[in-house]
Amino acid sequence: MNNFWITVSHTAGRRIKSKAFVISTIFMVVLILGLTNITNIIDLFSSDESEDITSVAVVDETLTDNFFGETLASYDDGLFNYVNFTGELDDAIEDAGNNGHDFVLYLTGDISTIEAEFYSDGNDFMMSNEVNQDVQRMKEALATNELGLNEEELSIIYSPITFNEQPLREGGEVQTMETHMQAYWMVYFLVFAIYMIVLTFGSMIATEVATEKSSRVMELIVSSINPVTQMLGKIVGIGVAGLLNLLAIAAAAIIGSYLSGEEFIKMIFTEVIDVWLIVLALVLILLGYFLYGGIAAMLGALVSRAEEVNQALQPLVFLAMIGLFVSIFGLNTPDATFIQVLSYVPFFTPQLLFLRIGMSAVPMWEVTLILGILVLSAIIFNIIAARIYKGGVLMYGKFSFKDGLKQAFTIGKKEK
Amino acid sequence: MTLILNDIRKNFNDHVAVDGISLKVEKGEMFGMLGANGAGKTTSFRMILGLLDPTRGSVTWDGERLSYRRTKLIGYLPEERGLFPKLTVKEQLIYLMKLKGMKNQEIIKEIKHWLDRFQVPEYENKKIEELSKGNQQKIQFMAAVLHKPEILILDEPFSGLDPVNSDMLKEAVLDLQDSGTTIVFSSHQMKNVEELCEDIIMLKRGKSVLQGNLREIKRSYGMKSISISADYDLNFLESINGVLQINRSKDGAVIKVENERVAEDIFYAISDKGFVRKFEVEEPSLHDIFIDRAGGEENE
Repeated sequence: MNNFWITVSHTAGRRIKSKAFVISTIFMVVLILGLTNITNIIDLFSSDESEDITSVAVVDETLTDNFFGETLASYDDGLFNYVNFTGELDDAIEDAGNNGHDFVLYLTGDISTIEAEFYSDGNDFMMSNEVNQDVQRMKEALATNELGLNEEELSIIYSPITFNEQPLREGGEVQTMETHMQAYWMVYFLVFAIYMIVLTFGSMIATEVATEKSSRVMELIVSSINPVTQMLGKIVGIGVAGLLNLLAIAAAAIIGSYLSGEEFIKMIFTEVIDVWLIVLALVLILLGYFLYGGIAAMLGALVSRAEEVNQALQPLVFLAMIGLFVSIFGLNTPDATFIQVLSYVPFFTPQLLFLRIGMSAVPMWEVTLILGILVLSAIIFNIIAARIYKGGVLMYGKFSFKDGLKQAFTIGKKEK
Repeated sequence: MTLILNDIRKNFNDHVAVDGISLKVEKGEMFGMLGANGAGKTTSFRMILGLLDPTRGSVTWDGERLSYRRTKLIGYLPEERGLFPKLTVKEQLIYLMKLKGMKNQEIIKEIKHWLDRFQVPEYENKKIEELSKGNQQKIQFMAAVLHKPEILILDEPFSGLDPVNSDMLKEAVLDLQDSGTTIVFSSHQMKNVEELCEDIIMLKRGKSVLQGNLREIKRSYGMKSISISADYDLNFLESINGVLQINRSKDGAVIKVENERVAEDIFYAISDKGFVRKFEVEEPSLHDIFIDRAGGEENE
């Protein structure tokens, strides 16, 4: 057991001290600090320009005696500064061309049939949307005014209805649109995170094993420590290094969001992120890492040179990719039969079980059963991987899956 | 304390790598394991180390099986040298020796001691990849002996070393033997084996073909070699029964014969041919014995 921890600290220590690790962690931290504070940074560089409010020349040719144009010009709630333009449309357009104002809005018709033409440079569809809303609002105000409705009557029209959902069966759950969207983004993000973590750290393990093999230091190491202990020590060691990496990124995200003081980010933390889902994701990442890591170590032990690692890892990469694609597809149909069935397959469980729990309701017994299968198969795969690893580390030659596995299995055989 | 290999055999599927080897090495003895490439030396070493389990038979030290629980007892210099290229001498020896159960302080003290002994104290904080091959081998040797093992297994310890370093290493090995370390080593350089070992085993295709005390083996080995210095052609001796091989040299020939009786026949055959400056019957060198026994047409 002592040698296990020596290997863990050696593996983790080497990785944490390596330039690649330090640089990539710093890069990620800076990137996240930057992203969370992006508006502050933009403000810093463009504080003067943002004072400029876009001006829109309104050419009112409606049958309301220019009433629209005047009301819009006096309206100062929106993003734009509306100017009542008293000339012809062509003059206004010409004036816009000479930078007199930015855009032109041309209105015709009467109150009930008002038509608006918006002349812009067409770069920003959000802008015309805003203008559209402003005109609509104006029209509603004028129309209700015309009809002589009082405040009370107005509130009858505009007050929102109350809409609640209830489960059909007892004990069932209903996802509201709000919780659905929360879960959607979180599941989307974490499914991708599981994929990245399992794959990145899996390939780190395999590369490390293959490097030790190709430098031939492996034979010396396994003469002092049981290869199986060493394999597990490596998996845990790289996991520890990875965890530190994740912690640094998480810390950066939290610090960054506090620094930014933005409502949107606060909202993500308080409303979108569900602590339970994060705990579940961590458990699934851990189990997935253990399963994929054991197999990655085994594959790393089958090759003789570090260059062959990618070739050996391919089957594992495919499995993880299938899991990713199925779960992205399944985000919209979390209750589909094939998602349910595939979530029992240990290689897809981390992503698909998470998806199912996040996006719909999964009974507790099923969660327990699927997690049980995952734990059990992770253990079984690690036992098989350990035996192949034991043989593989002493084996050199050209890499081939079939012969390699068979040979390693024979060499690793426990005779007594 | 004795290292005992009792009739060990190792099969890889239907290939037999080691086939029924038995041997005994007493404490403080230096034992030589000889054989052509692929004869089963490395597989035997791996079984002694516990890296491989024998298909049959047993390996014991002091009556007990060698396993990872007793890994401190063994030092190993593998034939394929290998260290962490990116780590410094100190870093990797600390890791490797911690695995052998040593404490940090102790390891650093021993590193200094051995680097001084090998006259390279400045290498402590150098990366392995920056060292020459011969110097890497010194570090590799340190990785095998720093923890003062009871059994030391050296697979081809002298290959690739210049004469100065080779002697330095040889001296270190002899010192370790003096201090009671039991050493098993293999070498292709027969001269080294003759210099260092009392007992040997010679393997061919996984089987023992010759085993015992080196001096006795040589004395009782039937084959002799005769060196003759004469000014005339000695090729006519080929026709004598029992002559195995004639190697012509500058001033005569070295003739291998089956036994000492043939030497007499040769002596009489050349005595009436003319003057002979030198006629000497020698015991065979280990080199000759090796080629005779472990070599041959099946040699890989």
